[in-house]
Amino acid sequence: MSTIFTVAYYTFKELLKSRVLMNAFFMGCFLIALTYIASEFTFGVPQRIAIDFGLGILTLSSVGMALFFGVELLSKEIETRTIYMIISRPVERYKVLLGKYLGFLSILFLNLIILASMSLITFKVLKGDITNMILWNIIYIFIEALLVLLLVVLFSLNTNNTVSVISVIVLYVTGHAMDPNTLKFFVEGRPAFEKLINFYHFVLPGFYKLNIKDFVLYQENLSSEYLISTLGYGFLYSLFLITLTAVIFERKDLN
Amino acid sequence: MIRLENINKDFKPDAFGPVFKALKNVSFEIKEGKITGFLGANGAGKTTSMKIIMDFIRPSSGNIIYDVKLGKKKEEIFSKIGFLPERPYFYPHLNGRDFVYYMATLSGVPKLLLKERIAYWAPRFKIDFALDRKIKTYSKGMLQRLGFLSTLSHDPSLIILDEPLSGLDPIGRKEMKDVIVEIHRSGKTVFFSSHIMGDVEEICQEIVFLQSGELQYTGSVAALLHRNRNENYLFCVKNNDRYDLKTPHTSSTRGREDTIYFEVSADDKNIMLKELVENRMEIISMEPVQKTLEEIFYGAKK
Repeated sequence: MSTIFTVAYYTFKELLKSRVLMNAFFMGCFLIALTYIASEFTFGVPQRIAIDFGLGILTLSSVGMALFFGVELLSKEIETRTIYMIISRPVERYKVLLGKYLGFLSILFLNLIILASMSLITFKVLKGDITNMILWNIIYIFIEALLVLLLVVLFSLNTNNTVSVISVIVLYVTGHAMDPNTLKFFVEGRPAFEKLINFYHFVLPGFYKLNIKDFVLYQENLSSEYLISTLGYGFLYSLFLITLTAVIFERKDLN
Repeated sequence: MIRLENINKDFKPDAFGPVFKALKNVSFEIKEGKITGFLGANGAGKTTSMKIIMDFIRPSSGNIIYDVKLGKKKEEIFSKIGFLPERPYFYPHLNGRDFVYYMATLSGVPKLLLKERIAYWAPRFKIDFALDRKIKTYSKGMLQRLGFLSTLSHDPSLIILDEPLSGLDPIGRKEMKDVIVEIHRSGKTVFFSSHIMGDVEEICQEIVFLQSGELQYTGSVAALLHRNRNENYLFCVKNNDRYDLKTPHTSSTRGREDTIYFEVSADDKNIMLKELVENRMEIISMEPVQKTLEEIFYGAKK
């Protein structure tokens, strides 16, 4: 465990000193300004605008960070040979991988906390009511960013950074579009399409499950079974991606 | 300490391209307590061999045998090896001390001991003044020194360095070579690659020479030089353009106009000496001809 924490600590420290969190600060300022301007143009529902913008920017920032900084998490170290300094030590590769994930996720979490706090404060100032659904949505945004990070690291081990980022963006967009409820109409009477959708749901990440923003905006509740099972889905899928990446990293020739 | 047996490594740059054989049946040994130079031109397979030794890449066939003194498990073995890659890139936002701590902590070095080691080695690498500065402010030479310092942070018994002298100015190279010799004197085994024959000849007792992925020579430097020794003698004389020597010789100016070199056989050495004196020529030096590694391996002439 100490290896994982050592790698995580220095990964966190390096990222923190690189001022990656300036992202959170600027996004936060942008969020407050945007919320204020937008709420001036609404009639009666400024809170909804505030939480809509807040959660939107939270998603954009977390997923963007996971995607664009995450793609370099391992690939840059391999490309620049820094990884040789680390794995020439008595450490196992999977522990290095877990440490890198942990360090990066700590930054991602910090980013989320800062932005979520700013967003919720703005929401509260506009007399909004912080419900459990909002908190669940924030948790889901973190899981969404986690999945994006794990996917982009997996891709970056097998192809170049540009292809990795594009592939993950495609998966992210299709993952949101693959909601069975919205696709029901198209699937009916098209068995081949249905099989394709089923295969997709079985193998690829269903980001649509994590999108509960509409329920938050319209103050509707979701059953606790759904919320917990989606959380479980996120963790299991993450575990699957971590295992797959660890196996590939373990066997990969680090040229 | 480490023995490579019949190592082959094939690369396939792309799916439909031909297989590139980077190493062809390479076998050699890194001997304990020696400084071994790993020679070869760029692309000869030195770095590939080192990556195989360090388990960064796997050989297509062949075996690596680590001495039991290094340990049995991979973790034990690697806790006794210090490795410095060629021109490494470190985390630019960390400071030098952070980086050394990072590497040493991975090797389980206690903080107190690490402080002592840094206090000992950092001034020798002339990096002590910059340890608290961000790495992104370091020059190329400073990065190399920092890398070397972190390589020694866990006091390894075998030190493997990939082109440690590249990118350094002459003074930096001299200092680095002195450190390598000092490390060796303290009982460590050093294995380092270089494509500069002179550096290796200067400080190594053993060499391994690769060419196009094939082993050309492995053994002691002294034995190799002895085997290729030349019985001739070389006179360096001030050039006055007034010589007509009868002793059989070959002459060259080596690109200089003020001196001229005469190479004669050992038997003719004294006759040549007498003739030069009689001709009132100014002798600058006389020495036995010693072939360099460069001349032996590449047939290069001075």
